[in-house]
Amino acid sequence: MAAHETGVAATAPATLAGRPSTSRLGLAALATAVSWLTTVDHKRIGILYGVSAFAFFLIGGIEALIIRLQLAGPHQTVVSAQTFNALFTMHGTTMVFLAIMPFSSAFFNYMIPLMIGARDVAFPRLNALSYWIFLFGGLFLNASFLVGTPPDGGWFGYTSLTLRQYSPGPSIDFWMLGLQILGASSIMAGVNFIVTILNMRAPGLTLMRMPVFVWMTLTVQFLVVLAFPPITVGLIFLMFDRFFGTHFYDVLAGGDLHLWQHLFWIFGHPEVYILILPAFGIVSEVLPTFARKPLFGAPVVIYSGVLIGFFGFGVWSHHMFAAGLGPVADAAFSIATMLIAIPTGVKIFNWLATLWGGRLRPTVALHYAIGLIALFTIGGLSGIMHASPPVDLQQTDTYFVVAHFHYVLIGGSLFGLLAGAYYWWPKMTGRLLDERWGRWQFWLMFVGFNLTFFPQHYLGAIGMPRRIYTYGDGTGWTFWNRMSTVGAFGIALSILLFAILAVRSLRGGAGAPADPWDGRTLEWRTSSPPPVHNFDVIPPVYGRDTFWREKHGDGRGQKPTPLPAVADPHGIHLPSPSFWPIVTAAGIVIAAVGALTHLWVVGAGVAVLLVGAWAFALEHHGNPAHADQTGDLGVDHRKLAMWVFIGSECLLFGTLIATYLAYKGRSVIGPHPHEILNIPLTTISTFDLLMSSLLMVLALAAVQRGDRRQSRLWLLGTAFFGLIFLGFQAWEFTEFVGEGLTLQQNLFGSTFFVLTGFHGGHVTLGVALLLTLWILDLRGRLGVADAPKVEVVGLYWHFVDVVWIVIFTVVYLIP
Amino acid sequence: MSEHAPGAAAHEHASVRTYVRVALILTLVTAFEVGVIYIRLLTPIVVPLLLAMSAAKFALVAMFFMHLRYDARPLTAVFVGPLLIATGLAVALMTLTGAFLVFGR
Repeated sequence: MAAHETGVAATAPATLAGRPSTSRLGLAALATAVSWLTTVDHKRIGILYGVSAFAFFLIGGIEALIIRLQLAGPHQTVVSAQTFNALFTMHGTTMVFLAIMPFSSAFFNYMIPLMIGARDVAFPRLNALSYWIFLFGGLFLNASFLVGTPPDGGWFGYTSLTLRQYSPGPSIDFWMLGLQILGASSIMAGVNFIVTILNMRAPGLTLMRMPVFVWMTLTVQFLVVLAFPPITVGLIFLMFDRFFGTHFYDVLAGGDLHLWQHLFWIFGHPEVYILILPAFGIVSEVLPTFARKPLFGAPVVIYSGVLIGFFGFGVWSHHMFAAGLGPVADAAFSIATMLIAIPTGVKIFNWLATLWGGRLRPTVALHYAIGLIALFTIGGLSGIMHASPPVDLQQTDTYFVVAHFHYVLIGGSLFGLLAGAYYWWPKMTGRLLDERWGRWQFWLMFVGFNLTFFPQHYLGAIGMPRRIYTYGDGTGWTFWNRMSTVGAFGIALSILLFAILAVRSLRGGAGAPADPWDGRTLEWRTSSPPPVHNFDVIPPVYGRDTFWREKHGDGRGQKPTPLPAVADPHGIHLPSPSFWPIVTAAGIVIAAVGALTHLWVVGAGVAVLLVGAWAFALEHHGNPAHADQTGDLGVDHRKLAMWVFIGSECLLFGTLIATYLAYKGRSVIGPHPHEILNIPLTTISTFDLLMSSLLMVLALAAVQRGDRRQSRLWLLGTAFFGLIFLGFQAWEFTEFVGEGLTLQQNLFGSTFFVLTGFHGGHVTLGVALLLTLWILDLRGRLGVADAPKVEVVGLYWHFVDVVWIVIFTVVYLIP
Repeated sequence: MSEHAPGAAAHEHASVRTYVRVALILTLVTAFEVGVIYIRLLTPIVVPLLLAMSAAKFALVAMFFMHLRYDARPLTAVFVGPLLIATGLAVALMTLTGAFLVFGR
């Protein structure tokens, strides 16, 4: 039996069971609510993601229906042009960030630990924090409707449309801050799942034995942690331009509007794969299960997925062919885009080969999986057309593009996710969905989808532009627009039917056995729904499709020799519930609300955030169950997480530094760098920071050997050197302002202060972490067992140091 | 029971003497970096020279202070991979915005 730590989730319902008085029922409801608010169980968090995503999906769907009603005929007046702009902006933003991404997260959360034979994710509280930040970020974005200023600059937020001059109200502020909040949530979740997958696999589950869904999840998480920093930087520039009058996107001051497009699409194209690869992973699980044969060429499918992710970083400018980048850039990005079609096509053929000769069991999940193959292929083929710049120039900003990406994101992503919903519903709820009505739901969706979006290819080809709120009588667009609107309501009806089937299943659906589909992977090895600790014993792994081999043997029917059960060395340890994730997330969103209202609200939000983060960090300090977190790679979870985070930070600082260099020499007025930078002074502060790294390694060595006197000395010394560096920076900034260089003065001031200021912010956080460790040490609460924590803080500190090494060279020394 | 830092036992780190040596090298290279910008003779090659010295310092801190030289190889991969992507994107971004033209337009 699982050894729980004391927590509301574990105790409250049991205490109140069987006492039906009203007050008791009220208390039970309260306890249930509290247990969900404080849960850190990956399965519950998965359900929370799923429910929230479905709610946001309905909101995004209603927005789409109003758009379609407005376009159902010429000269419609369902909404105004202004409202139409807000609707397509929020529809795109909602579907990408608040519906499809979190739908995938629902499956990551619920299924990944089960599929790799783990009891939870590596950082359960961080997982809860990611969810609450996502939810609050989504509510914050949609709160813009309540105050009457929804974002209306498109989901791509192109400057200069989104600058204060052209969007003076708070609408773009909601969008810009909301996306930054959602980005923070995604990066945290990304780090968490990378560590979980690399470091928490059951014994015997080598990387190449992992299910394809797990592989695609791993690829997606790397894309998330590497693709979000560039757009975060772009949004920070936009925020500084709007709030503080900097010049990142100010053409008159030497800025470049293309910069935003680049930063947005450096994120935006990998984002397409963030949306589609989870669906590819799901289909790669569903097809072998219902074809009752192994996935054809599974390693090739895995390599193709990884290649798609890698190439995804090299194709972004195909979204900018119409921006005039020149023939060389157009040719390079065109070739890269065509190359990415190869691994994608490989997957399609592998799926078809999996079906070929299989004993097909035509479940609804299989319908959706095959639907994905058909519809994504159509979307992929129109995508290859866009890879050719001359063709793309004809299609840019027409409904042909709208048709293309909906075939990819609905025909691909949503169909894949619905396949996953039907496939894993019995595992998640312990109930079966109605297969007969499910087929009706599928066909309604399939027909409705094609009726909506196939005509849009034609509408685009005959010249209907995107984002127009109405059109005239003689355009020839009316019939196909009407068809499209009818199809959209077909999709809506299908989603309504899915919701009805889900509710009916939960209320009285037939019970699901542990393995209703004769599954192949580990999640089917435990009960439906699984117990809180997932598995009584960590399951043995016999190869790819391990559970199938266990039941049916290999290709010759030879069953594996049973391996002994793997006992948990410290018993079953489950994380206890925590309030701090929701408190910390609340602090972030309060600060964002403050940015739109009053400065004191920002202060209040930051205070809540700091208290939450502090309590979060120290909640389990000293708990021996948390001391040893060494995983499959022989590395502590926290250390691996810090390295992944540092990888993400490389992209953040890389983008900041690249922007500084791209804008170097473009300021139209002074002061210029050579007139103002003080190299001798900065050399001293650089030396100071380099030496702080030496003190940091000495501190770590002292903690590892249990020398408390020296550990206290070196930790304080490192923090002190960090404070000296910050003092130098404060002095330098003050001097510059005195000499006329401010954030607003010119492009150099904007790029210099933001780059070095962000680095200074990182140093400040590092000093705070070091002083926290020093105080713990002073109080005798930093022992040898805490060495990994010191090492993790040390890694962060050294990274801040290496970033400064680069900044010192490119900003101060290079003429 | 002997006390060991969890997760740290498998990988030996450098000695204090090595750390001090690395710090000395970092100091010397920084001094060279500042020095070369004042030597007119080196002007034609000062940018690649500075970049090379900066990269050397970066590598020394990562390998010794951040222990990549001694730690599990996957840690190097999760750092170097993103670092290369970041460098590639930075060069591409500078090229595409016209600040650092690798190709003519």
